[in-house]
Amino acid sequence: MALQDDIQIYEKRRALYVVIGFVFIIFLGRLFQLQMFYSDEYGKKSEENSIRVIPREPIRGYIYDRNGARVVDNRPSFTVTIMPYEFDRRKLGFIARVLSLDTTFIRTRIKQGEEYSRFAPVKIKRDIDFRELSVLEENRDRLPGVDYQVESKRWYVTPAHASHILGYTKEISENQIRALGGEYTQGDVVGSSGLEGGYEGSLRGKKGAEFSTVNVRGQVVGGFESGKLDVQAVDGKDLALTMDFGLQAFAESLMAGRRGAVVALDPRDGGVLAMVSSPDYDLSVFSGVTPPQIWRTMNSDTERPLFNRATLTRYPPGSTFKMVLAIAALETGKVTPQWRVHCTGGFRLGNKVFKDLHVHGSVDMISAIQQSCNVYFYQLMLKTGLDEWAYYGRELGFGMLTGIDIAEENPGLLPSTAYMNRRYGPSGWTRGFLPSLGIGQGELGVTPLQMAAYAMVLANWGDYHQPHAVQGFRRRSTGTVDTLAFQSRRLSVAIPTWAIVREGMRRAVELPGGTGGMSRIKGIEVAGKTGTAQNPHGPDHAWFVGFAPFDDPRIAICVLVENAGFGGSHAAPVAGKCMERYLFGPAGASPPPAKAAPRPAVAEATHQTPSITGGD
Amino acid sequence: MLNYLQRHFDLQIGISSLLLTIIGLVSVYSATYDARASDIFFKQLAWSGAGTVVLIAMALFPYRLLQTISIPAWLFSLLLLVIVLLLGKTVSGSTSWFNLGSFRIQPSEFAKITTVLALASYLSRSDVSLRNPRDLFLAGGIVLAPVALIMMQPDFGTAVIYGGMAFAVMYWGGASQFTLLSVVAPAAAAVGALFGTTPFLIVVAVMGVLIYLTKEHRLVAAVVFSFMVLVGISVQFIYDGMKPYQQRRIDTFLDPGADPLGAGYNILQSKVAIGSGGVFGKGYLHGSQTQLNFIPEQWTDFIFCVPGEEFGFIGAATVLVLFAVFLMRGVTLASKVKSKYASYVAIGLTATIATHVFINIGMALGLFPVIGVPLPFLSYGGSSLLSNAAMVGILMNLYTNRKEY
Repeated sequence: MALQDDIQIYEKRRALYVVIGFVFIIFLGRLFQLQMFYSDEYGKKSEENSIRVIPREPIRGYIYDRNGARVVDNRPSFTVTIMPYEFDRRKLGFIARVLSLDTTFIRTRIKQGEEYSRFAPVKIKRDIDFRELSVLEENRDRLPGVDYQVESKRWYVTPAHASHILGYTKEISENQIRALGGEYTQGDVVGSSGLEGGYEGSLRGKKGAEFSTVNVRGQVVGGFESGKLDVQAVDGKDLALTMDFGLQAFAESLMAGRRGAVVALDPRDGGVLAMVSSPDYDLSVFSGVTPPQIWRTMNSDTERPLFNRATLTRYPPGSTFKMVLAIAALETGKVTPQWRVHCTGGFRLGNKVFKDLHVHGSVDMISAIQQSCNVYFYQLMLKTGLDEWAYYGRELGFGMLTGIDIAEENPGLLPSTAYMNRRYGPSGWTRGFLPSLGIGQGELGVTPLQMAAYAMVLANWGDYHQPHAVQGFRRRSTGTVDTLAFQSRRLSVAIPTWAIVREGMRRAVELPGGTGGMSRIKGIEVAGKTGTAQNPHGPDHAWFVGFAPFDDPRIAICVLVENAGFGGSHAAPVAGKCMERYLFGPAGASPPPAKAAPRPAVAEATHQTPSITGGD
Repeated sequence: MLNYLQRHFDLQIGISSLLLTIIGLVSVYSATYDARASDIFFKQLAWSGAGTVVLIAMALFPYRLLQTISIPAWLFSLLLLVIVLLLGKTVSGSTSWFNLGSFRIQPSEFAKITTVLALASYLSRSDVSLRNPRDLFLAGGIVLAPVALIMMQPDFGTAVIYGGMAFAVMYWGGASQFTLLSVVAPAAAAVGALFGTTPFLIVVAVMGVLIYLTKEHRLVAAVVFSFMVLVGISVQFIYDGMKPYQQRRIDTFLDPGADPLGAGYNILQSKVAIGSGGVFGKGYLHGSQTQLNFIPEQWTDFIFCVPGEEFGFIGAATVLVLFAVFLMRGVTLASKVKSKYASYVAIGLTATIATHVFINIGMALGLFPVIGVPLPFLSYGGSSLLSNAAMVGILMNLYTNRKEY
C-alpha cells in the first residue's frame, strides 16, 4: 500500500479487530450462559431426555349446501404408523401380510421417513379396516414401533354425487410436497380437484404441534415446559355453498346413463345451483386409501368419469350461439330487428351450399331465433363480420375462463381475425368460413359452464356475475356465513337488443313452431334455445340454454347431452324438468314449499339465501 | 527450520484452518455415526483430500497471473451461474447444483472467490476511487451481478454473504461513511418493513438522522433517503405478491417460532444440544441430541452443535478461538501486504469467511434468524470445503508474496 495510507490502514485494522473481537465475546458469553448457567436445565432435557414434536392434525372444514345441510363431513379413520427407530425389521413380512401391502413399499416409506427423523412416526397405511386393526392390536407386544393415529376422512352425507364440483382429497405426492413448500409432509391429505382443490388453503386449516419429552430410547415421558410452546391446530374453515343438493341429485338422476353436463346458475348472483358431469363417480372411493387398480380403471375408462365435462369440454355450441350473433348485429347497427331473409332451406355462397333443416320462408330476427333458421344466420354473419361477432362473444364470456372457484376450467376457443390469420395465414381462409361460425359450428369451443353463464346474462338483461359455487365461509359457532365477494360487470348492450333476443327465446319455448317446446313448464314462462352441434366423431351433441321464469329469472341453465341428436328432443326436456324441480321443489307444487328441515340450521340458512337482484 | 517456514508460510492461517477442518471431520463423523449416513463422512474425507490439493495449487499459483485472470474468472463464474439456472438440479426448492456423478457442485460457492478477486482487481487500479460515483457504481455492479443470479436460484443465504463481503471491502477501500450508509440503509429499511410499520418508521428515522449527520450534499442525501423509503414500501407489495410458501420462508426467518415443526424446532434442539454440553461435554459420540438425530441434517448447517454438545464449553470455545485467530490473522495480512490488490483480496476473503461464521454460529446459538449458510471448514459439503480450501490457499499465496508490489 502507498505509504500515506499506512496510518489509515492501521486505524481500519484496529476497527476490524474490535468488530471481530466484539462478536466473539458475545458468542463466548452466550456459550457461557447456555453451558454454565442453563446447563442443568438443558442437561435435564437432554442427558436423559430430549424433545420431540408431535404434529397435531387440524380437522378439515365441512361443506354445507345452499339450504344449510351438511353435505361433506368427516369420519374417524385409523392410520398405521411405524417409528423407524423402534421398528424391528424382522416383522416387515408380518406387517405387509396383515395390511396387504408390498414389503418394498413399506421399506421405502420407512427410508423416506428416516431422512427427516428416525423418531417421527411414518404413515404406512391410511384408513385400515377393523380386521387389520384388531390383528395389530392382538400382536401389539410383538410389534415395537408400530402404532396408529386417528385421522379423519371425508364422509359424504347426500344422495347427490356432485363428484366433479366437490372434488376429492388424496395423499400428497412427492412432487406436490416440493411445489407447496414446507407446510406439507409425507402422508398429508391434500384437496386435488373441484372445491377441495380450489379451497384447499381454507379447508385445510393449520397444523399444530405438541412438544413432548422423550428418553434416550425414544419413549415419550411427558410434556415439555408444561405445554408453553405447544401450538394448537387450527381447524379448516367450513364452506357454505350456493348449490342446491336436492336439485343436484335430481339433475344427476336425469343424466344417468348419458354422457354430458348440466350447469344451473342463480342469475341474480352467479351462484352455481347444480353442476353435473356425467358419467361421474363415487367420491367415497377416494376418501380413504384409493387402491391403485381403481385409479387405473377410472383413468382408462373410455367414458372418462374423472373428466369434468361441465368445465373442460370444448364443443361447438351449435344454434344456442345464435343470440351472440343477433346481439352483435343489432348493437353494431348492421341490421334492424325487422330485417328479413327468405329461407328456402339452403344458402349458396360461391360454389358451396349451406343447408338448413327446414324451409322457413320469410323470417325476421325474432322468428329466426324462435325457429332456429340457419339461412337467416348465415347471411347475418356475412353482414356482421367476424371481429364484431367475436367482440360480443368475448363480452358474453366466451374464449376465456369464467373464473369459477373450482380448480379446473378450460377457456374454450372463440376465433377472431387475428386467430384465423395465425392459424391459417392471412390468405389461408376466406369468407366461406363465416356462415358456419354464425350458427355456432366450426372452430368454436365452449364449455357448458360458459353456456350457463351466457344464459344468465340473457336472463339478466346484461348483468354478468362471476360463477361461483361457494357463498362464503360458515362460522361453526353461529352458523352465519361470511360471504365472499365475486366480480360482477354490466355488458354495454342496449335494452331493446336484449328485448329482441329474449323474446325470440321465449317464443322458442312457449309458441308453436319453436324448437324448445319440450322444456315448457306448466304455470311459468320459460325462455330457451336449443342447439344440435355437428360432431365429426359421431352423432350430434344436443344443447339447450335457457332461463325461467321469463319475467323474474331465478334459474339459468345449460344442458349438454353428448351424441344424443337433436337438442330440442334430448337436452330441452332435461332442462325443463330441472327448472321445474328448482322452482317448485320436489313435490312439483306451486309456489315452492318450504323444504323439509332435518336440522335447525336449515331455517337459519334459508333466511340468508342471497336476495341480490339483477337490478337494472 | 521454523524460521524458514515462518518466512514462507502463514502458519497461523494454515494451522487454524487445518485444525478446524479436523474438528469438522470429527463432528461430521459423530453426527452421521448413528444416522445410517456414514457415506457422508467418507465423502467429506474425500473432499478434504481434494481440498488439500486445491489449497496447495492456489498457494503455489503464480501471483502475477492471479491478478491477470481475476476479471475473466469472474465472467466465467457468472456464466456458470447462468447455466446452473438453466440446467441445474433443484434441491429443496433452490436450483443451485450441478451433478457430477454422485457428487454435486454449487457454482455460487466459487463465484464468491472470483467476485472478491474481480472487485480487488478493479479497485486496485490507480485511476479508480470509491469516492468517485462512477467507479463506485461499477464496483457495485461487480458484486450485484452474481447476487442477482443467485437470488434467482433462489439462495438467500449466499446472497447475504456477498453483502457482508462488499461492505467490508468498501470500508477497507476508503468509501465514505455516506457510501457505506447508503449500502446499509435500504437493506435495513427492507427488514424493518417486513417486521411492520413501526419498526420501519424507526429504521427510517434513525437512518435519516445518520444520513443527515454525514453532511452529504442535500440533493444526493435526499435521493438515497427516498430510495430507502421506496425499498421499504415496495417490500410490502413484493411480500403480498409472493406465493404462500415463499411468504412462510420469510415469516420463519423473522420469527422461527412461527414454524414449530421446521426452523423453530431446529433452533430449540440446537440450544438444548449446546446447553446440555456443560463445561466438558458428554464425551465423543455420546451426545444424546447428536446421536439421536433430533436435528435433521445436522451435519450441514447445525454442525456447531456437535462440538458444543460432545466437548462442551471447552470444545465450542476452542472452535471460536480458532476462528478468531484465523479472522484476525486475515485482517493483519490485509494490512501487511505491499500491493493494493493483495490487500483487497485478503480483506474480501476474510470478510466472506467471517460473515459465514457470524451468521452460522449466531444461528446455532439462537442469536440470529435461521439462514442456511454452512460453517466454513466444519459443515459437510464438497463445494463449500473446496472453496474454503481455495481461499486459504490464496491467503497463503498472498503471505508468501507479501513483499511484492
